[in-house]
Amino acid sequence: MKNNYQSRAYIVAVIVIGLLLIFSIKSLAAATPKPLPYFQDISITGTITDKDGLPVPGATVSIKDSNNGTLTNMEGNYELTAPAGATLVISYLGFKSREVAVDGREEIDIQLEEDVEALGAVEINAGYYNTTERERTGNISRVSGEEIELQPIVSPLEALQGRMAGVEVIQQNGVPGNAPVIRIRGRNSLRSDGNYPLYIIDGVPINSTPQSGGSNVYREGIDPLSTLNLSNIESIEVLKDADATAIYGSRGANGVVLITTKKGTGYDRKTEVEARWYSGIGKVSNKMNLVNTEEYLTLRRTAIQNDNREPDETTDYDLLLWDQNRYTDWQEELFGGTSSITDINVSASGGNATTSFRLGGSYHKEGMVFPGDNSYHKVTGALQLNHTSENKKLGINLSLNYGVDKSTVLAHGGTNFINTALALPPNAPALYNGDGSLHWEEWEYSTWNNPLAGVLHRTTTDEGNNIIANMGLSYQLFEGLTFKANMGYTYLNRLYKGLFSKNQYSPENRDATNHESVENHRTRRSWIIEPQLIYDTKIGEGNIDALIGLTFQQNGNKGISILGEGYTTESLIGDLSAAAATRVMNNERIAYKYNAIFARLGYNWKQKYFINLTGRRDGSSRFGPDKRFANFWAVGGSWIFTEEPFVKKHFPFLSFGKFRGSYGTTGSDQIGDYEYLDAYEATEGPNGLYPTQLTNPDYSWEENKKLEAAIELGFIKDRITMGVSWYRNRSSNQLVGFPLPSTTGFSTVQANLPATVQNTGWEFELSSLNISSESFRWQTFINLTLPNNKLVKFPNIDQTSYANRYRVGHPLNIQLLYQYDGIDPETGLYRVADINEDGRYGIEDRVVIKNLGRKYFGGVANNLSYKGFGFRSLLEFVKQDGPEGQMGLPGAKRNQTLDFYNTWQNGESHNIQKISESPDASAAYSRAYLSERFISDVSFIRLKTLALSYNLPNLPLQKIGLNSCKLFLQAQNLFTITNFNGLNVEYPGGNTIPALRTLTLGVQLHF
Amino acid sequence: MKNKKYTIGFVMVVCFFSITSCEDFVDVETPNHKIINETVFKDDKTAVAAMNGIYNELFNSDFSNGYLFSVTVLAGMSPDIFETTSATDARYGPFQQNQISPRESPDASANYSLWSSAYNVIYMANRVLEGIENSETITEEVGSTLKGQALFIRAFTYFYLTNLYGDIPLILTTDYRQNATVLRDSATEVFEQIITDLDLAITFLEEEETYKDAERTQVNRFVVLSLLARVYLYQENWEKAEELSSQVIDQTSLYGVLEDLNQVFLKNSREAIWQISPLGGIGGGQFFTYTKEGYLSRGINSSAIKLSNDFISSMHTEDKRLSHWVGFNENRMFYFPHKYKDGSSWQNVSEYSMVLRLAEQYLIRAEARTMQGKLSDAVADVDKIRHRAGLEGIAEINPQIDKEELLDVIMEERKLELFSEWGHRWLDLKRTDKASEVLAPIKPLWQDTDVLYPIPEEERIKNSNLGQNEGY
Repeated sequence: MKNNYQSRAYIVAVIVIGLLLIFSIKSLAAATPKPLPYFQDISITGTITDKDGLPVPGATVSIKDSNNGTLTNMEGNYELTAPAGATLVISYLGFKSREVAVDGREEIDIQLEEDVEALGAVEINAGYYNTTERERTGNISRVSGEEIELQPIVSPLEALQGRMAGVEVIQQNGVPGNAPVIRIRGRNSLRSDGNYPLYIIDGVPINSTPQSGGSNVYREGIDPLSTLNLSNIESIEVLKDADATAIYGSRGANGVVLITTKKGTGYDRKTEVEARWYSGIGKVSNKMNLVNTEEYLTLRRTAIQNDNREPDETTDYDLLLWDQNRYTDWQEELFGGTSSITDINVSASGGNATTSFRLGGSYHKEGMVFPGDNSYHKVTGALQLNHTSENKKLGINLSLNYGVDKSTVLAHGGTNFINTALALPPNAPALYNGDGSLHWEEWEYSTWNNPLAGVLHRTTTDEGNNIIANMGLSYQLFEGLTFKANMGYTYLNRLYKGLFSKNQYSPENRDATNHESVENHRTRRSWIIEPQLIYDTKIGEGNIDALIGLTFQQNGNKGISILGEGYTTESLIGDLSAAAATRVMNNERIAYKYNAIFARLGYNWKQKYFINLTGRRDGSSRFGPDKRFANFWAVGGSWIFTEEPFVKKHFPFLSFGKFRGSYGTTGSDQIGDYEYLDAYEATEGPNGLYPTQLTNPDYSWEENKKLEAAIELGFIKDRITMGVSWYRNRSSNQLVGFPLPSTTGFSTVQANLPATVQNTGWEFELSSLNISSESFRWQTFINLTLPNNKLVKFPNIDQTSYANRYRVGHPLNIQLLYQYDGIDPETGLYRVADINEDGRYGIEDRVVIKNLGRKYFGGVANNLSYKGFGFRSLLEFVKQDGPEGQMGLPGAKRNQTLDFYNTWQNGESHNIQKISESPDASAAYSRAYLSERFISDVSFIRLKTLALSYNLPNLPLQKIGLNSCKLFLQAQNLFTITNFNGLNVEYPGGNTIPALRTLTLGVQLHF
Repeated sequence: MKNKKYTIGFVMVVCFFSITSCEDFVDVETPNHKIINETVFKDDKTAVAAMNGIYNELFNSDFSNGYLFSVTVLAGMSPDIFETTSATDARYGPFQQNQISPRESPDASANYSLWSSAYNVIYMANRVLEGIENSETITEEVGSTLKGQALFIRAFTYFYLTNLYGDIPLILTTDYRQNATVLRDSATEVFEQIITDLDLAITFLEEEETYKDAERTQVNRFVVLSLLARVYLYQENWEKAEELSSQVIDQTSLYGVLEDLNQVFLKNSREAIWQISPLGGIGGGQFFTYTKEGYLSRGINSSAIKLSNDFISSMHTEDKRLSHWVGFNENRMFYFPHKYKDGSSWQNVSEYSMVLRLAEQYLIRAEARTMQGKLSDAVADVDKIRHRAGLEGIAEINPQIDKEELLDVIMEERKLELFSEWGHRWLDLKRTDKASEVLAPIKPLWQDTDVLYPIPEEERIKNSNLGQNEGY
C-alpha cells in the first residue's frame, strides 16, 4: 500500500513540475511585446462560395488568434464582429482554408478552393483529446456515421465488418441483437472472455461484456450497444496501438472503441429536420444442401445391412414407424421464414448564438426467420445540447442516449434449435395433427421432441432499457489552460421473461412437469467522473499540449432470477402472484470500483516532428488488496518528412509522407469481481452454504506491451493515400483459470501464468479518389490485414490441460488433430494415424496442428456518385481454414449433406467410410472428425453492402419546403462466394444461422 | 499580473491532485451473496449451514444424485441389472459392455463427472473440517457434531471412489497447490483412512442418537455405524460387521423393516437410515420435489435405461418385489425399476433418495454370521428379508442349508433387494471376486481388468503423477 502511494506521489510530482516548467517558459515568451493592430471592432458580412459560385453553408469563419467565429448559413452568408485590423480564417471540410485580412472592409465575399489534401484533415477522436489524420502519432481507424447509417442492422459494431484494418468483427449468429465478436489486433488473452475491447460512448465507458440473454438463441449474449441508434452515430474510432490506448491503462489491452454521437449542426443555425424511413425484407443468406427422404432412407438401410442387424422399433423407428414417403425441408420449416424490416428515424437540430441542439428519435423493427411470432423492436431517443458562454470561456455539453428494445424470440430449451433443424431426418413426423393440434405420438419414440413445441409453448421476451448520459463542462481558466470535467452515468437494464407451458413436453412427460416462468432482472449501473486540466501553448516554433486528469468510476451490477411454478392454467403463467411456488435462483450485487490518474504530454515542432507521451496509474477492485495498482505508459512519435525541404525537392510526387511509431504498455482486468475472496455462497437448497470456487488472492494484471511502426503516404495531392502499419503486441502474465485436476475439488483456479501471447501483423489501408469531376466522383477504399497470432511462451504447458488446446509457437486458435490416414481397406472405416503406436488414440497422437484463425482479411469499398445518383458497395474477404459442415455419423439417424450422399453414390469409397452405425464406425468417425480430414479452406468473399441512392433535384423540392430528398435501396449480404458447405461461414464450427440477406428501400427527407 | 495568474494555476493543480490520494476508493465490500470463509466458521449457525450445504449438494452432485452420471445409474449398467433401451446408446452402452473409454466420448465424460463430483464433495467436507479446526468461536458441541458428519461424508465418498477406481489419491486438505500433483494411494490405504474417519466420526457423534427434526437426512451415530458395518463386511472382518450391524438393527425404536414395500422409500420411513432430500436442489432440471431416481424410472417411452431381462427372470413370480418395485412399459415392452413411485409431483415431497437402509444391515449381518458359522442366526436375518418379499423362508424350505449355499442365497437376496440402489450388485460381484464368473458369459467383451473404471484421462493430463488402471 505504501509503495503504491509513493509511486503515485512521484508521478504527480513529475507532472506538476513539468507543467510548472511549461508555465514559466510561456511567461518568458509572453514577455516579448507584439505590435498592436487596430483595436476598433467593425461588423462584417459576406458570402462564402465555391469555385462554381454556389454557396457553402456551414463553413467556419473565425478571427485569427482568437476564439471568436461563426458559421455560414444555408445561403453561405455570414456575419460577425471583428477588429478592423484582424484576419479572417475561413475553413470548411473538403476545401482549402483561406486567410483574408479585414483591412477595415465591412463586406467580404470569399471563394473557396476545393482541397483534395483535406480528405485526411478530418478531426479524429482520440478519447481524451482530439487529433487529425495528419498529426496523429497513434494508430486510430475511423468510420464516419455517413458510411454506415443506412444499414439495416441492430448492433452498431457489425457495421465495422470489412471496413477497418486490424479489426475483426464476426457475427456468429444472425439473430438481431446478438453480440458480434470483436477482436482488435487478435486475441491477447488465453481466456475467451478476456478479449473484449473497451467501449466508450461520448466519453462514458460501457461494460463491453455481452449481457446474458435468457434465450439460448442469443448465443453470444446480447450486445450492450444494441440500443444505440445507428443513425445517431457521428463516428466510430478504433484505437489500436500503445500510443492511442495506453491512456486507458488497464482497460486498453484489447483496444478501444470510441463511439461519438451526432451533435447539433452548429451555432446560429436555423432548425433543420431530417426524416427517414426504410422498409424491407430479410431471409437467411445460406442453407445447407441436405438429402431428401429417399436418399436418407437408403443411407439408413445400408447402415443396418452393413451392421448385419435386423431393424428394431426402439432403435430404428425412422424405418419402421415413421412414414417412408414423407419429406420435410426442416431448414425451410424452422428457419426459412421471411423477416420484415421497418425503420423510421427523425432528427432535428439547430441553435442560436450560444446554444445548439440535436434531438433524434428512431424506431426499428425486424421480424425473425423462425416459426411463431418472433420479432425485435427498438425505440431510441437522443439529445445533444451544447452551450457556450458569450465570452466562449465556459462550455457545457450534454449528451443523452436512451434506448429500449424488446426481443420476442424463441427459447428452445436445452438443445440448439438450429442443430435440430439440420439433424432432423427428412421423414421425421408431421408437426401438426389434422385438427391443428401439435402432433406428439410419433415423436415420442425418437430422440427428438416436436421442434415446434419448444417454440409455441415457450414464450420469451427480452427487454432492454438503457440510458447512457454524459455531461461535460469546460472552463477556460486563462489562455491556454482549461479545466474540464466529464461526468457520465449509465444504466443498462435487461428484463428477461420466459413463460414455459408444460405443453412443450410430450404428453407422457407432462405429468412430471409444470407450468413455469423465469424472470431475470439484470442491471448494470455506473457513474464516472473525470476532472481534467488541459494546457496548450506555443513554445518557440513548437506547440505543446498537455493533459492531466483523474478517473473515479464505480459500477454496480445487480441480478436476480425468479422462478415461478405451479400455475394452475396456461394463461396465468408469468404472473408470479399466481404461482404456487416461487424461488429466487440467484440474487447478486456486484460492485466494481476503479480509480486512476492519467496524463498526456504532446509536443510538435514546426508541425513536422511530433511526440506524444501518455501515462496512467490504475487501481481496480477486481484484484486482491495488495495487487490493486499498476502503472501503464506509452511513447509515440511521428515525423512528417514531406515537410523537409530535401524531400520536397527530390520526391515531388509525394504530397504527404509520415513515419510513425509507438511503444508502451496497457493492461487487462477483464476477470470477474471478487474472485480473490475465499468465500461461501448459498446453495440452491434451503439453509445451506457451499464453496463455489478455489481462490487465489495473489493474482494481478495481464500486461500487454505494444510496439508499432508505420508509414503514411499521399500521392497526387493526396488523391491517393496509403498507410502501412506493422505491430507487435505481447500479452504476458496471462490471467487464466488455471486448470487443475478435480482432485483439488474444482477444475480451475484464477492465476497469472508466465505465458506470453503475441500478435503481430501488417495492416494496409489505401484510399483513392479515382475520378473527381464536376458530376462524377469515384472513391475506392481498400484495407487488408495480415494477422499472426502466436503463443510464444508457456512454461510447463504439458502439465496443464492447455496442452490439449494450445501449442507453444502456434496461434491460439488452433485445433490439434489426428493425422488422417485414408480408409482402412479391411474395415472400410476412416483411419487416423496412431503416431506413438501404443494401440490407442489419445492427445499424443493428435500431431496435426491446424490454424483456424484468419490468415488475412479485409474489405474493398467503392463510393460512386454521378449527379444525383449514388452507389456504395463493400466487399468483405476472409482467408481462413475451418471445419466442413458436418452432419454426424453417416448412417445414423441424422440428416446428411447431399455432397456426402453424391460422393457415396458415385462409389468414391476411398474418401468416405462405410455406412454403419456400429460402435467401431462411430469411434472411427469421431476420430476422423478430430482429424485433418474435415478441415478445409473456408475462405469467403461477401458483398456485405450494396447501396443505390438518388437525390431528387433541388429546385422542385424547395417549392414544397424540402431541402433535399433522397431515395435509397440497400442490400446486405447479397452474395457470398465460398467453398464452405456448412451453414454460417463466419462461424464454421458452430451451427448458427448466418447473417440475413436483406433488401430495404427507403426515403430520406431534409426540411 | 501574469505571475499571479500562474500562481493561481499552480494552486489549482495542487488542489486538483490533493483529491487523488484515496487509495481506499477501490476497496469494495463483500457482496451480499458471498460470505467469506472466516465469517462462516465464526459462529455455530453459519458453520451448520456449511454442513447443510453439503447435504444439499449431495442431491446435485453427479455421483450421489441418482441421476444420469450417478453411481446408481453407471454402476448399475456395469453388472447384470440395467441395460440400455437403444442398441446405439453411446453414453451407457460402453458401461453396459464394460468398454468405458478414458477419453473423448460420451461415456468418458460420464465417467469424468462421476469422479470429479465426488472429489468436489470431498473438498467441501475437508473445508468444513479445516474451518472448524481453525475456529476458536464455534462451540464444542456443534463443532464435534459437524466434524463427525463431515468425516462421515468424506469416508462415504471415498468408499465409492475406491470401490469403482481402486487406487485413488487420498485428499485430506483443501490446499489445491498440494492436491494438484498428488499420486494415487493404494486401495488398502484408502480403506484404512475410511475406517479411521468413521471411527472418529462415531466418537464425535457419541451423543447423536436421534435425527434432528426427525429428518433422516442428517448423519447421526447409526448412520456411521451402518456404513462402517458395510466397510467391515467388504474387509471381511466378520465379527465387526456383525457387531456394528447388530447395533443398528437393535435400535428398534428408530428402525424397522417395513412390511409394505411401497412404504420403504417414503421420506423418513422407519427403514431409512440415511436419505438425501430432493429439497437440496432443482430436481430433474426443473423445480420439483421428487427424487431423481423417481424421475428417471417413470418408465416412459423415451427411457434410456431398462432392467435386464436376465434380472427379471431371476425373480420369483411370487416375489412382491417384482410386483411392487418393478414396472413394465407395454408400448416399448421393457421393465424398469419402480422403487420410487413419485417422479412427477411438486411441492409435496413424499420420497427421499435412499442411501442406507435397514434391510441392507440385515443382509450384512446374515453374511457376517454365515462366514462365522452362525448359520441359523444368518438364516433368520435372510428370512426377515424374504418374508417381507412374500417368499418362503430358508428355514422352511431348506433348513439344512450349508454355508456355501447360504452365501449364494444371500448374494441372490442382495441382488433382488438392493437392485437400482447405489451400485450394490457391481460392488458385491467385485468384492466376492465373482465379477468375471458371472459377467463373462453374458458380456461378450468382458475382460478381467474391467472390474475397475478408468481414471479419467482429463485428470491424468492435468496431473501427470496419476497412474492409470490396467486395461485402459
